[in-house]
Amino acid sequence: MLSECFIASTLTSGKVPASASLRDVGICLHEFQPSPNLRSTFKKSSTPANCLAVSPSHVYAAQAEKAIVHVYSREKGNQEAVIPFPERIRSIAIAGSKNGDVLVLGTEGGRLILWETCTGRQVATTASHLSPVTTLVVDLSDNFILSGSSDASIHVWSLIDILSFTKLPSGRDRQPPNSPIRTFSNHRAAITSVAVGHSSSRYNIAVSTAQDNTAIAWDYHTGRVLRTFLMPSSAVSLALDPVDRAFYVGYEDGSVQSVELYKAQSIQHPLHDLSLQSTPAQPSAEDKWSPPSADCGPAHSLSLSYDGMTLLSGHQNGKVLSWNVGRKKYASTVADYTHPVTNLLMLPLAGLSQPAHELKRVAHTIVKPRYDSTLSESSHAAGAVPADYTFSTHLLTSTSSKSTTTSERTNQFTEAFTHAFFPVSMIEEGLAELAAFNQPGASTAQLSPVVTQAANDEDLAAKDSHIASLENEIATLKKKATADNAARQLTTGEVTKLRSDLVNLHDYINELHQMQDQAQKQKVLRQARKEERETRKREAWFAAEKKGKKGDAVLRRMDAEETAQTSDSDDQNSDE
Amino acid sequence: MASMSMSLHAVNHRLTNIPVKQLPSIASCLATSLSNCGELLSAPQNQKSKSESENAVQVHKLMTRLASLLQDKSPEGRWTAVVLVKAVVEAGQWEVLRGCEPFVRGLIGILAKPDPNSTKKMSIVALTRIFHLTYQYPTLVREITTPSLPSFITAALNLISVKPSSEPIRKLKPHTPFLEIVLNALGELIARHPTIFRPFSSQIHSILQVIIGSTSPTFPQTVLDSAERLFISLHHCAPKNTSGEEWRSACQMIIASIHGTADYVLRAIVEQWESLDPALRQASKPQNYSREVGDDGLDTLGLAGWHGLDSGVNRIVVLLQMLSTCLTTATASMVTIPIGSILDLASRLTAVVVPSNGRDVQANPQISRTEREHLFAELPRIHISCMKLLLSLVEALETGAVPLAQTILEQTLWVYRAEKFSQEVRVSAYDLIHALLTRMGPSLTKPGLSSLADMIRTSCHDLLPPAHEHSASAKASSDLKAKAKFNQTTVNADSFLNPGLKQARQSNALPFSGLQRAASGLLAAVLIHAPTEYLSPSLRAEIDRTIILTSNKHAMLASVSNPVPAVQGRGVNASIMPFLARSFPAEMEVEGLIRPRMPVLMNTPGISGFINTEEEEDEEEKEEEEDVPVTVAYTAPEHTGFLQPSSTPILHSDLMDTDVSDKPAAAQNKRSLVEDHKPLPPIRSSTEEAETDVQSKRPRVDSDITAVSSQPSLDRASPSTFTGTAAVSVPSPLTTVTSTPPPRVATVNAPSTGTVGGPLSSSAVAQTTPADAGEDDSDDDLPALNIDPDTEDEAEEEEDETMEG
Repeated sequence: MLSECFIASTLTSGKVPASASLRDVGICLHEFQPSPNLRSTFKKSSTPANCLAVSPSHVYAAQAEKAIVHVYSREKGNQEAVIPFPERIRSIAIAGSKNGDVLVLGTEGGRLILWETCTGRQVATTASHLSPVTTLVVDLSDNFILSGSSDASIHVWSLIDILSFTKLPSGRDRQPPNSPIRTFSNHRAAITSVAVGHSSSRYNIAVSTAQDNTAIAWDYHTGRVLRTFLMPSSAVSLALDPVDRAFYVGYEDGSVQSVELYKAQSIQHPLHDLSLQSTPAQPSAEDKWSPPSADCGPAHSLSLSYDGMTLLSGHQNGKVLSWNVGRKKYASTVADYTHPVTNLLMLPLAGLSQPAHELKRVAHTIVKPRYDSTLSESSHAAGAVPADYTFSTHLLTSTSSKSTTTSERTNQFTEAFTHAFFPVSMIEEGLAELAAFNQPGASTAQLSPVVTQAANDEDLAAKDSHIASLENEIATLKKKATADNAARQLTTGEVTKLRSDLVNLHDYINELHQMQDQAQKQKVLRQARKEERETRKREAWFAAEKKGKKGDAVLRRMDAEETAQTSDSDDQNSDE
Repeated sequence: MASMSMSLHAVNHRLTNIPVKQLPSIASCLATSLSNCGELLSAPQNQKSKSESENAVQVHKLMTRLASLLQDKSPEGRWTAVVLVKAVVEAGQWEVLRGCEPFVRGLIGILAKPDPNSTKKMSIVALTRIFHLTYQYPTLVREITTPSLPSFITAALNLISVKPSSEPIRKLKPHTPFLEIVLNALGELIARHPTIFRPFSSQIHSILQVIIGSTSPTFPQTVLDSAERLFISLHHCAPKNTSGEEWRSACQMIIASIHGTADYVLRAIVEQWESLDPALRQASKPQNYSREVGDDGLDTLGLAGWHGLDSGVNRIVVLLQMLSTCLTTATASMVTIPIGSILDLASRLTAVVVPSNGRDVQANPQISRTEREHLFAELPRIHISCMKLLLSLVEALETGAVPLAQTILEQTLWVYRAEKFSQEVRVSAYDLIHALLTRMGPSLTKPGLSSLADMIRTSCHDLLPPAHEHSASAKASSDLKAKAKFNQTTVNADSFLNPGLKQARQSNALPFSGLQRAASGLLAAVLIHAPTEYLSPSLRAEIDRTIILTSNKHAMLASVSNPVPAVQGRGVNASIMPFLARSFPAEMEVEGLIRPRMPVLMNTPGISGFINTEEEEDEEEKEEEEDVPVTVAYTAPEHTGFLQPSSTPILHSDLMDTDVSDKPAAAQNKRSLVEDHKPLPPIRSSTEEAETDVQSKRPRVDSDITAVSSQPSLDRASPSTFTGTAAVSVPSPLTTVTSTPPPRVATVNAPSTGTVGGPLSSSAVAQTTPADAGEDDSDDDLPALNIDPDTEDEAEEEEDETMEG
């Protein structure tokens, strides 16, 4: 549930509180909305004005007239530590409003002490104020500290420069380290209160009040006066509207006044209107919001509610009054703590969902300050962070760095984890797997993917090598096969050639056979003719013998005829 | 409720009647209808009415059916059961959880069965979710989580590893598909049930060591991430009150391990770095330079050895990631972050950079040149991880990082200057500087900001490749022609043929979105956080040009909100507001910037009244005058002090303000705040006589104007007519609006009507009497519609200037 609380601290006085619950109580955590009632208390504390600071985990209260700061744990609700300091502390403020890591303390001697509550490092500045530092604020960007003192000056310090191990390269003249970067000295009397605007940009403003009855709105980045207000009397306390539209001052007589910064219908922001800056403005004394009774005493502290519509003021007589900002008048008395209410801090709303303001870490206990030795001997390893510099905290959330590109992949688990049942991708994957499961031969197939998988995995390496060797074999076989192929092609070529040769030879043989046949035939013919001639010769001889003629002569004649014939026939033969 | 019981009935019917084999295909539908029955499932079961008991019967039936399905013979049945169990548990919360003990047993049983991978994966998720949900109910934790979580852990570990012996050490199974999901599940549960995990912590540790330490078959990044996260989370299991100590020692072992690895990896060069930690100074061991770089023994974390430079660099990168995981993971209790050691490590790793001109690195003569060059090639990877580590540190510490910011800034710039050739280095450096600027930007000094100038310029170029490039190349080529005719160089002929080509390709060649995101983030951070007066005008012009051309709304808003401050002796500084207004006319931020709705008044009681006011104001801006009675009605009739009533909204032009303001200041050194808010021209403030004088002249003007504008509306009177009729002489031409006051106001004689502003509004002055707000009872106030002529002027000038530039 949404609730709004404030923390008030009191300065112990001689009076005895009426209710027993408030006895010995120095700091009260009070619920303001929805139902105003006292939530919890911290005991044994007496704080002057501007000496209370609250972090999400702790409450720091500088004690009046002592050089100590009480530290209370808000989680445990008890006093955690008492921290002694070398000087009296006149004002404190918290830097790093989200976690409250650095406590800034203003001392009696006019210097600042910065204490890193998570590391225990403690850094002191030069004593630039001539009088005690009575009021301290840190701007929203956690870069600048504004310290007001009773010597009428306000110093602007660079928090970064004071704390940084490696000093920032400075464009300024040679100045002692840890000195203020700017001094605002338009006030003529002791500074009573300083407030900064609610912007982290460089156009943020500061408003300060002093005992010379002035309130000045100025630009702490340049030190330029934006507006001077001549107040009816000396302001004791100061609060700034959450939108910086107005500021509220509390007076010695317990009354309160609002000073609106936006009044003129000017085209420029009235504070940055050059024409108005030189002219002081004078809110009239009649505009003061008068307290319900005259015995309220000074309004030591002012605080505005979250919506900026209710102003709370803590008074000398122990009353906390609420004022209606719209009606500009007293509304009600919220609480009565008997002792003077010196500090009043409105806490941020509880229960508001603001992811950006969520704490990423919390310090359950603080680290007590120790003397920073590296600072004094600046020659030693200039600017280096000492090796024993440690930071104590409790990291709360697991944040994956935005730059990791792999985050979406890891989200597969978280996606399934936070889904109403399972994301579609996972269901589909499962369905596909089940479908593969139900292939025919279900019983073996069922086992194979899962059971054999493990086995597969184990001897996968072995199989890999086996596969490699098999591949090698295949390669060689292929090579052989190609060689064979080539060889075969070669032989077939030869064979065809031989075949054709053979055919040629056959033809030739046939031819020769024919010729032989012919030759034989002719031979036979010649034989036959020869035999015929012989027979005819013999017949002719016989005939001649028979006739009585000499057969030989006939024979000779016949031979002569025959040679002619044979020569003819031979010629014929040769012709053939 | 009736529809719910109906759909529950339908689910039950289908679950019992449809064959189990066909259930998976409708599982998703069933799960959806079950998660819609959440109200029914989570309803307490002891109600008396008939319909309630009927519902209870259905719920009971569903639970029994699911339990039996989980034990089903077929894998389909079990698969469906897992899906539906998760749906029921999510929907039913406590009522279902308290009866989910059989589910848990069944789901754990599935992990050991030869089921499909997806069934097991989903069982792990479902079980993790059940344990997660029971955490908030101590009774359920006692009944369900405590008895069954150990068996779940064992089953899950069995999926990814084998336990060879009785020793508390496990051997990782290679190629298991469950690794990532198991690691995630354990990581989710370990922080909540540290005592149950304690007996398993050494087993888990041994598995994680293998995953993190493996160099040759590296695991996917996602597995590594979950393993690192789980490794860090192991400190939750430490015995009572020692978890912080455990965390710290884990951190320091990681740091020591990185140092040990770096001793080998960086051996090719002579390191200039000297540790601030005296313990580390003498730690480096003698090395055998003849061997290949590598580490044989186990290192401080117990990770296995590695060989080869690539593996060594991988190891360093993984360990650096782990260190940043330390800083981004929730811890069990208060821990002590060893910032000093981390920065010491970072300064060692960033001290060695790739040599560039002017910055040489002392080489180790015993090591070959090839190894050294190899190392230089790998260095950017180490530096990227290093910068990511520093980024995690800054983001974790927030304001606590302020003392370190300057140190980190200088380390980053050192690396950046040497290695900006690498896109990844640039991305990391931009991100880191961005984070630092949000912390320390406002206190940057001039030298500090000018050291960033180079980086800012490069980020502009990353967003928008420089356009003058090819004119330069053309020039170079013409030079070539002129000087060296013999020197035939090959020139990109395409760039001559198509001049647009080169540039188009360049701008298309960078789809690397990470770089664009980082660069535009850096530019916006510079504009928002850095003191703008220290930015050199040329750099500022380049930033403005880049963000206009890339239509970067966020950065443009930042530029408009942080204008260049006026410097004496220079002209009016330009604003890029017109570009913003043209590019994003409908955006809320732009609207709010150009036409601010600053609520000036707060005199309504309570929050609601306040909000009403704002709404009214908006309306008024539309309807101008008609709203007057309404405003009177709602504003509380309080005595408003110095709040100035003005019954007519006045378009007010303030050009004269500077001229006039000096006079009243001289005339009256102290004015009341009231007067201050509506500075009166000297003529009127001097005497009443003058006032009447003006009044006597005024009505004529008024009637003229009313004659021209029949409606009571804003009207722009021409300067000439105005100056001609007004008693006040106006030296410069002005645009003025005269508003015709409603007669009602005139009769009431409401003071100070329309007197706001300079003498220009004197047309409305006719009815006014000098303000005496104290006695003023009517407190109706209309916000003025402020139109800012200055801005327009500025805008035009800016346009001119940007055109020139």
